[in-house]
Amino acid sequence: MVIIQTHDLSVYYGSHRGIKDVNLAVEQGEVFGFLGPNGAGKTTTQRVLLDIIRPTRGSAQVFGMDCQQEGVAIRERVGYLPGELSLYPTMRGQAFLDLLASMRPDPVDPAYRQELVERLNLDPSRRMKEYSRGNKQKIGIVAAFMPRPDLLILDEPTSGLDPLMQQVVMELVLEAKAEGRTVFFSSHILPEVQAVCDRVGIIRDGELIATERVEALTEQQFKRVRLTLRDTPPTDAFTLEGVTETDRTDNTVRLEVTTGLEAAMQQALTYGLLDIDTLPVTLEEIFMAYYSEEQTHA
Amino acid sequence: MLNLFKHELFSRWAAVLGWGIGLGAFGVMYTSIFPQVADEVSLLADLQIYAALGIDLTSFEAFIASTTIQFVPILLGIYAIITSTATLAGEEDDGTLETLVAMPIARWQIVTAKAAAIAVALALTLLLAGLINAPVLAAVSQTVEVDVAPGQLIAVVLSGWPIVLAFTMIGLFLSALLPTRRAASLTLAVLFIASYFAENLSGMVSSLEAIKPFSLFTYFDSSADVFREGVRAGDAAVLLAVAVVFFGLALWAFHRRDLTVGAWPWQRPQPES
Repeated sequence: MVIIQTHDLSVYYGSHRGIKDVNLAVEQGEVFGFLGPNGAGKTTTQRVLLDIIRPTRGSAQVFGMDCQQEGVAIRERVGYLPGELSLYPTMRGQAFLDLLASMRPDPVDPAYRQELVERLNLDPSRRMKEYSRGNKQKIGIVAAFMPRPDLLILDEPTSGLDPLMQQVVMELVLEAKAEGRTVFFSSHILPEVQAVCDRVGIIRDGELIATERVEALTEQQFKRVRLTLRDTPPTDAFTLEGVTETDRTDNTVRLEVTTGLEAAMQQALTYGLLDIDTLPVTLEEIFMAYYSEEQTHA
Repeated sequence: MLNLFKHELFSRWAAVLGWGIGLGAFGVMYTSIFPQVADEVSLLADLQIYAALGIDLTSFEAFIASTTIQFVPILLGIYAIITSTATLAGEEDDGTLETLVAMPIARWQIVTAKAAAIAVALALTLLLAGLINAPVLAAVSQTVEVDVAPGQLIAVVLSGWPIVLAFTMIGLFLSALLPTRRAASLTLAVLFIASYFAENLSGMVSSLEAIKPFSLFTYFDSSADVFREGVRAGDAAVLLAVAVVFFGLALWAFHRRDLTVGAWPWQRPQPES
């Protein structure tokens, strides 16, 4: 069953582009990672799904209902964590959670809410203005998860959290998935996307450029390494299977390696390997490499 | 919606207390000094400048109307500007509105809960100011002749509610229509000041009489007559009608608003045909 469906979804602010012709389908029980640089349109898409922003063109449906026409019915089944969570400064965390719980048609299970509070190591008795960024994020996470919604829309859910708490959030996401609930979340962090997502979509400049299963991408994952050598190698020294030389400065060589890491290292040792650095690779780069590979084989 | 209303009302308790006590203290100051200045002010009553400004100082009720009652909507109007524009545009600027709109509650319910909470808060503020002044009036009436009962004074103070409510609903509409709190509060402040001067100038310059009906202050009686004849129901009805109309416009504007965008109406996403 399709939980989120968009058709040519576009939002323009005057002449400024928000998102353009986004076509998306997220299945029930799926954890869908929505990825892209800042300003790409991730948050705009999520806000359209919640009827916070209205589309210029196209349509968006959640649970088979139109986001504009049946927004309240949709939001009854959605838990939302905004990317920039702002809370009433003088309100206590407990009172804020009480208020949000009171707006839901179905009662929130107090035991589950307490469990979330404890797992996130949150003290809800303090005023919002006294909370650190991480603790505010925890309040938002509890608020999103506590009604056990059918769909969770999470915008950068681990932002501002320490690694231990990031792990707790990932566990919560996986538990939601295990219960057959759907999670649509944006992230920049590759390991967390790999850990929990079934599929990912990349949005760039407002356009959804690709969607793919995570396994398919990680199989194609490459490493980017920088080798510092004692001797300057000849230009074809790293022309090897599964190895691409992308840059070279004097005796420093930059490589992208998929399957030929052992051969590349042996070759590097030949020229006196002094140092080796592993450089970060973004998921988008993996994406692009994957798609260029696909096109090559096509 | 009831829970949201309760939250909105409770979040305003400090403002109700602060403005109520402040407004009450302002009235107490004039009420309490009346026995000392009663003889002097009656002499001032003959000055033409006071007559031209419509200030009547010949009795306690005239003195209080001129020094206190006419300033009630002006002072509380400042609160109206602050609170109405802080409510939607301000909360959007602060980012707190996004969480609320993402809840399973219709937009009209959000506006209604907030508008109702403000309306009740304004009434409570005026009631508190009146209650603070009632015992002072009772004490004053022991020393000089005063034809105003404490209950009458409270009712007159509360007569400021319709005009402040009308400006508040205009503010709520501007808050739902304009992109930022700054734009909304600036526009409302200009309207508020223009309305005040329009009413005053139209009373003094005959050629400006035509603009008098367009000023909300025209429908607020700050003369001694309000003590003698009570609040004019027709005027209160006009102010309440203005409040209802702008509340409706606020519902309409907020329903079609793209939250978090912070854009002017013509910059917002326009559905294509």
